[in-house]
Amino acid sequence: MSAAVGAERPQVVSHVQQALSYTVFDCKWVPRSARLLCLGSAARGTGLIQLYELHGARLELLREIEKPKPIKCGTFGATSLQQRYLATGDFDGNLNIWNLEAPEIPVYSVKGHKEIINSIDGVGGLGIGEGAPEIVTGSRDGTVKVWDPRQNDTPVANMEPVQGESKRDCWTVAFGNAYNQEERVVCAGYDNGDIKLFDLKTMSLRWETNIKNGVCSVEFDRKDINMNKLVATSLEGKFHVFDMRTQHPTKGFASVSEKAQKSTIWQVRHLPQNRDVFMTSGGSGSLHLWKYEYPAQRSKKDSEGCEMGVAGSVSLLQNVTLSTQPISSLDWSPDKKGLCVCGAFDQTVRVLIVTKLNKI
Amino acid sequence: MPVWLREHSWRQTLTAVYLSLPLRGARATAANIFCSERYLKVSVPPFLFEAILYAPIDDTNSTAKIGNGNIFFTLYKKEPAMWDSLTLANADKEKLQYLRENAVVKAHEKAKEETEAKKITKQEHKKYALEATMKVEEAERKRIEDLKEKERQKVAKELDLWKNQQKNGDKYKIIQKKRELHQETEPLKERKSEKINKTRIPNEGTSKTRLKSTKGGHGSCSIFSQNLKEEQLPAPRAAATIKVNFTPRVFPTALRESRVAEEEEWLHKQAEARRIINSDLSELEDLKEEEKNPDWLKDKGNKMFAMGDYLGAVNAYNLAVRLNNKLPLLYLNRAACHLKLRNLHKAIEDSSKALELLTPPVPDNEKARVKAHVRRGTAFCQLELYTEGLQDYEAALKIDPRNENIEKDAEKIRHLIQGTMPNS
Repeated sequence: MSAAVGAERPQVVSHVQQALSYTVFDCKWVPRSARLLCLGSAARGTGLIQLYELHGARLELLREIEKPKPIKCGTFGATSLQQRYLATGDFDGNLNIWNLEAPEIPVYSVKGHKEIINSIDGVGGLGIGEGAPEIVTGSRDGTVKVWDPRQNDTPVANMEPVQGESKRDCWTVAFGNAYNQEERVVCAGYDNGDIKLFDLKTMSLRWETNIKNGVCSVEFDRKDINMNKLVATSLEGKFHVFDMRTQHPTKGFASVSEKAQKSTIWQVRHLPQNRDVFMTSGGSGSLHLWKYEYPAQRSKKDSEGCEMGVAGSVSLLQNVTLSTQPISSLDWSPDKKGLCVCGAFDQTVRVLIVTKLNKI
Repeated sequence: MPVWLREHSWRQTLTAVYLSLPLRGARATAANIFCSERYLKVSVPPFLFEAILYAPIDDTNSTAKIGNGNIFFTLYKKEPAMWDSLTLANADKEKLQYLRENAVVKAHEKAKEETEAKKITKQEHKKYALEATMKVEEAERKRIEDLKEKERQKVAKELDLWKNQQKNGDKYKIIQKKRELHQETEPLKERKSEKINKTRIPNEGTSKTRLKSTKGGHGSCSIFSQNLKEEQLPAPRAAATIKVNFTPRVFPTALRESRVAEEEEWLHKQAEARRIINSDLSELEDLKEEEKNPDWLKDKGNKMFAMGDYLGAVNAYNLAVRLNNKLPLLYLNRAACHLKLRNLHKAIEDSSKALELLTPPVPDNEKARVKAHVRRGTAFCQLELYTEGLQDYEAALKIDPRNENIEKDAEKIRHLIQGTMPNS
């Protein structure tokens, strides 16, 4: 969109572009710093963790750590701000927690799954939320496991398919509803379009639905509040925003869906400073910035007098095409509003700045 | 026949000739005047005036004024000289003709040149217009780029500022930590000295107060508070497992893998087939209730087949088909019976009918299709139509490439064909 027409619209400015010599699967900001991590797989089949620092208009490589297996995903979500340990899931199903100052031996290691860990999320660390620090991993073997770094070898919760049933790959996991020490919820998305919401306090399945297309990414707008909104993105360019405040006994949660691009929407990430703004990244190398507007009334009574939620609407603020290959990972900086990093399958990592976010 | 106009009056100067033609009542327009270097013709029906001029004139600059029943020519001479007369007096017919034609040709050429010149000027104008628009667009683009650049620079500056703040913040934290460490060691020293003091002289009061003051300081406070916080973290959750089911579908493939249209068609067909009841048979009243059910009849037929009563099975299937002729399994099973009874043509017919009903080809009816192909293949082979048989076996193999029996049989048939070929 031209700046002349939408002078007040947020602009996505590409600040730095760094070409890498390996496939990058995940990129994350190191909390409380101007440093970022790139996780991926080198051509010779080993895993790489690279630590970069933002210096003016370029990225300076601080450390490079090589591991025997390619790394698919990582999170800082379960560590404290002082320690800043990185939890990673690799292609072999191993969950490791690394101290980046001394990365030779992991602080915690477990072979959690039989197949690749597709997605990982952490909660309870970084000063966000309360309760025990936990990490959840979702894998191609169809199971979703929750780990506590203080307990070795066995997960504290295991969501697995019923014996004898065919399994579906779990593609994405997310924590939510962690507003006090007991409450916690895990949302998992699978490749056949299933979305399941597990309540860890009651250890039960709280809600499930099917959105017909494989679910690439789920995220709650905030992990540490009473669950408010959940965005699930899928293949074929659709994403759904669920209003999680009101659960109807049969209809579940209300949702609004939007078809953004013709290609897969790989990731959705909410802006840490504004929970109604989120960015989706697509298979055609484009990024879309969306804003959710709440409806006049968030819940209404249906014919039987049960409460059911009302979904709002989503509007596109900006879109930009950065690459020809899918942008597979996206992360907002929790410290600077509008600063984000994205990694694409064209082996580049880009640091972007989204301007004018104060005005929306 | 036009009327020649003879009454004309003219006068001349050194450079120009002024000619006046009266038009009695007739209207003239510019198109009626034809003028070239040496030839002038005015044709105003019914009048006609022509003149072979004495000397060449400059016909582009010459003018004609039409009005008042008069045409007034101002002809500029090419060479300033006084003419003896307006026209060439001693012009014979041939010369006149030649001059006329010449004039016409010259006029044509002039016209052509003019059009060409016009074209060129038009093109130049277009080019100019294009360049002008391009410039305008360039300017616009540049303006937008400049705006974007400004944004970028502003944003980069902000980022640097923030980064420096981070660095300073870190430095501050480091200094704080050092101070904390320092203060940690102090109370330790204090305590040690206190102990020593205790043994010596009860100066407790002073040392205690000093201890207290340092305790109130940053260092130890933070250590203690951190310890408390760690204790506040709940113990790891009690391990538990949640069993999940995945959304069932008739065809367990995700949307990205499915061939939904075909599968829907198949399901639809099956549903319809179930609903058909050919109830217009008069013999039906003789049958018992259960014998009217095609499924029951199929089961009966299967049982008789298993016991070896092939004729009875065929009867059962026949009745079932009369009731519902859209169930492919009936034809399939009847084909098997006919094979056993060596009614090979009927077996082929039934297998073909079954295959027809088993379209569209989906994973659900794979087994049935394999069976149909195999049975038809067998029938062909027993009729010694080996090539057709082989075709069917290969089709079966395509659907189910892992079936060893089919492979073996296909091999046998191939050998047979190769064996019979040289003979025939």
